[in-house]
Amino acid sequence: MSGYALVELSQVSKRYPGVIALNDVTLTLEASTITALAGENGAGKSTLIKVLSGAVVPDSGEVRVDGRSLPPDPGEVIRSGVSTIYQELTDVPAMSILDNVLLARQSSRCGVLEGQANRDLARAALERVGLQHLDLARSAGSLTPAQRQLLEIARCLARNARVLIFDEPTSSLPEGDVETLLDIIRQLRREGLAILYVSHHLDELFAISDTIVVMRDGAVVARKPTADWDQPALVKAMLAKDLKHAYPWSERNLGEVVLETRDLSAPGVRSANIVARSGEILGLVGLDGAGRTELMKAMAGATKPTAGSITVNGRSLRLGNITDARQHGIVYAPEDRKREGLILSASIRDNVVLGLYALITRMGLILSGRLTALAEDNVRKYGVKADSIRQPIGTLSGGNQQKVILARVALTGARVIMLDDPTRGVDVGAKSSIYEHVMDLARRGVAILLTSSDTDEVLATCDRVYVLRGGRIVGEVNRAAFDRESILTSASLG
Amino acid sequence: MAQSVNISTRGKDGAALPPDRERPSAGQLLGGLFGSTTSAIAVILVVICILLSLLSDSFLTANNIYAILSQSSVVGITAVGGTFVVITGGIDLSVGAAIGLAGMIGALFMQAGFGAVGGTILTMLVAMAVGAINGISVAGIKLAPFIVTLATMGMAQGLTLEANGGQSVYSLPAVFTYFGSGTVLGGIPISVIVTVIVFAAGGLLLTKTAFGKSVFAVGGNREAARLAGIRVNLVTFLVYVIAGICVGIASVIIVGRVGAATPTGGVGVELRVIAAIVIGGTSLFGGKGSLWGTLVGVLLIGVINNGLTLLNVDPFLVQFMQSALIFVAVLFDAVNTRRITRGRLKMPRKS
Repeated sequence: MSGYALVELSQVSKRYPGVIALNDVTLTLEASTITALAGENGAGKSTLIKVLSGAVVPDSGEVRVDGRSLPPDPGEVIRSGVSTIYQELTDVPAMSILDNVLLARQSSRCGVLEGQANRDLARAALERVGLQHLDLARSAGSLTPAQRQLLEIARCLARNARVLIFDEPTSSLPEGDVETLLDIIRQLRREGLAILYVSHHLDELFAISDTIVVMRDGAVVARKPTADWDQPALVKAMLAKDLKHAYPWSERNLGEVVLETRDLSAPGVRSANIVARSGEILGLVGLDGAGRTELMKAMAGATKPTAGSITVNGRSLRLGNITDARQHGIVYAPEDRKREGLILSASIRDNVVLGLYALITRMGLILSGRLTALAEDNVRKYGVKADSIRQPIGTLSGGNQQKVILARVALTGARVIMLDDPTRGVDVGAKSSIYEHVMDLARRGVAILLTSSDTDEVLATCDRVYVLRGGRIVGEVNRAAFDRESILTSASLG
Repeated sequence: MAQSVNISTRGKDGAALPPDRERPSAGQLLGGLFGSTTSAIAVILVVICILLSLLSDSFLTANNIYAILSQSSVVGITAVGGTFVVITGGIDLSVGAAIGLAGMIGALFMQAGFGAVGGTILTMLVAMAVGAINGISVAGIKLAPFIVTLATMGMAQGLTLEANGGQSVYSLPAVFTYFGSGTVLGGIPISVIVTVIVFAAGGLLLTKTAFGKSVFAVGGNREAARLAGIRVNLVTFLVYVIAGICVGIASVIIVGRVGAATPTGGVGVELRVIAAIVIGGTSLFGGKGSLWGTLVGVLLIGVINNGLTLLNVDPFLVQFMQSALIFVAVLFDAVNTRRITRGRLKMPRKS
C-alpha cells in the first residue's frame, strides 16, 4: 500500500478579498506515510486543513480521496474517510468514553442502540490508540489531556478514517505526553493510514515525518523527504525572502522606565521579567500558545497573576485589577477584536468612547455635543472609513475596526499601551496607517508593547523584542541585532 | 441590509467566509420590514386604538383612558427597572413576588403603628433587598439570572403568605393609599403621574449618563466592556437594585389601589413586565433596547386587555393573545439579533 496516493490535491486555489489563501496547491498524501506541513502564521496551512476537512470549498482545483472527489460537506468528508484532529479538544467531557468514541456513529437496529456491537467497536478503536485498559463508562472529562486527545483519534478510527490530519496536536499537551502521541501516530502509519501533521514545533516535524512540505504565502514552496532537510534550511524555506511592505520606523529618544515586571507568573506565563521605557516600542515574539496574550492580559489586570509584581512609574499595581491598572496608565487592546474588543451591535461613536465616560460627562450627565465631537475627531484623525459615526461598528472592515480600538486606547492617555496583534486580518493599507499611529504614540512618550502573528512585522516596527516560548521569556534582542532566522528558531525549538 | 451582509461574510481573520450567506434569508427580509421594532409596535398600537374606538363607544372616553393608564402603572413602573436588567442580558422573574412581599411587610409595619412614612420606607427597603440579593447572586457569585430570580420569586411568594398567615392587611393610612388611588387635576390618577416620573428618571439614567452607557456596553459585549475598564460586576449588581427600587414604588401603588396588601398582590406581573419589554424591542440577548419601546409595550398590553374586556372576549382567550404577542416579539428579537451577530456566531478557526 505504501506510496499509494490516498489524497490528491491538484491546483487548488482559494482566495479571500485581498488575500490569496491557497495559490495553486498541488499535494498528495500517501498511504503509510506521514507528511509534515510547515509554514509561518498565514502561510495557508489553516486554509488547507479547512479544505481537506470540507469546511471550505476551494475556488478552483480538485481534491480527490481514493480517486473520488471530496464531498463539499464536513460530515460527508468524515464518512469518506478523512478526519481531522484539531488543536483544541472537541470531546464531550460529561459523556462516557464509549459515547465519545461513538459520537454520531452508534450502531442501531430499528432505532434501538446495539450495546455489545457498539462496545466492541469502541474497544477495537481504543486498542489502536493504546487506551484499551480504560473503563468505557468513565467520563471523558476525567481523563488527562493526552488521553482525551487519543480518545479523539479513536473516534476518528471508529469512523473508519484512512486519512488523519493533525492540526497542532501537541499544543495543549505536557511535554512528557508528546512522545506517546507521536508513537501512536507512528503506529497508525504502520497500519496504512495517510497522515498530514501540521505543527509549529520543528523538532516534532523532524521526529515524526517522512516528508516535509513547506508553505509560504498560500503556495507550496518546497517538498523533500525529511532526511534531506535540516533545521536551518527549513527555517529559511518558511521565511519570505523579502519584506512585503515598508513599515514606518524612526529613531526615538527613550525615556525612563515606565513598566517593570518581576517574576510575573500567571496562567500560561512563567516568571516573566519585562522592562519598558517611555517612547519605546517593544515586541513580544512567540508561537501561538507561547504566552504573548496571557502575559499582556496579566499585566493589564485582565487575568489574575499567581506571583510576582508589576510596577508602573515606580508604583506597584494591585494584581488582577483592571481598574487599578488603567488608573496607573496601562491599557490593553485585545487580539480578538470581535469577541473582546468591540460591541459589534453598537455604533462607531459608542465604541470609541467605551469605558471613557469621564471624558464626555459633566456632573454625571453625558454632553452629547462633546460625545459626537470626540467621536468625529477621532474617526477623522485615524482615517476610519465610515458613512456616519452612528453606523454599527460591526459593519466596518477589520482595519477600520482596529483604528477605532486604537483611537480608544490612545484617548485613555495611558503611559503603557499593549496592542495584541493589532493588524490581524487587516489589509496592507490599513496596516501601515495603524503603525504610523503607533509610531506617533511612541514619539509622544507612550511605551508600546506589541505582538503580531507576522514576525517580520514585529521586527520591522519594534526597538526591542522579547522571545517567548512555553510561557517563558527565552530571549531578548535589540533592534541592531535583529535576525529573523535566529529569533524564529529560538521561538520554535525547545 | 448591505451592511449586515458585510459582517456575515467577514470572519475573525478578516478573511471572508464562503459567499453562500450573502443571499438574504426570509428572516432578514422580515427583520428589514420591521427595522425598528419600537416603531412597528407603535403603529400596531395606534391601529388597535383606532379599531377599538370604532368597535366600542366607551373606549375613547377620559375615564376609560385613565383606567387603562392606571391599570398599566404597576407593570409600567416595574418594567422600567426590568428594562435595565434585560439590556445587560439578564432577566428578573422575581419582580411580581417581590411586589407582594414588599407591600405585605410594609403594610404589617403600618398596622403595627409605624405610620405611612415608616411603611413606605419598609416597602422600599424590602424590595431593594430582594434586588440586592439577585444582584449579588448574579454579579458576584455568577449564578444564572433565570435560576436565581426564579428561586427568589418562590421564596418571596412563600414569605408573603407566611407573613400574615395568607390573609390580606386592610385599613392602611389614607396618606399611603393616596398614591395608588388618588387623582389630581380633574381625574388624572396619581399612579399615572408617578409612572411618568419613573419613566422619565429611568430614561435620563439610561440614555444620558455614563452608567446608562455602561449598561448597554455590559449587555452588548461583557468581555469587551470589562477590558475597556467598565466595572461590569458593579453595573450588573446595580441594575438588579434598580429593578428593586422600581418594585418598591410599584408595590406602594398596587397596595394603594387595592386599599390592602394582599398575599397575591404582584402575582403574574413578571410575565407582563417581560412581555412589555420584549414587545418594545429590547433584546433578550442584551445590549439593545429602550424605555420608549417598553412604554409602548406596556400601553399595547394595557390597551389589548382593556379592549378585549370591553368587547366581552373570553378571559381565557385574553391570556392566549397576550402570550401569542410575546411569542411574536421574541421571534422578531431572535431574527434581528442573529442578523447582527452572524459574524460572531460563525467564526473560522484561528490559524
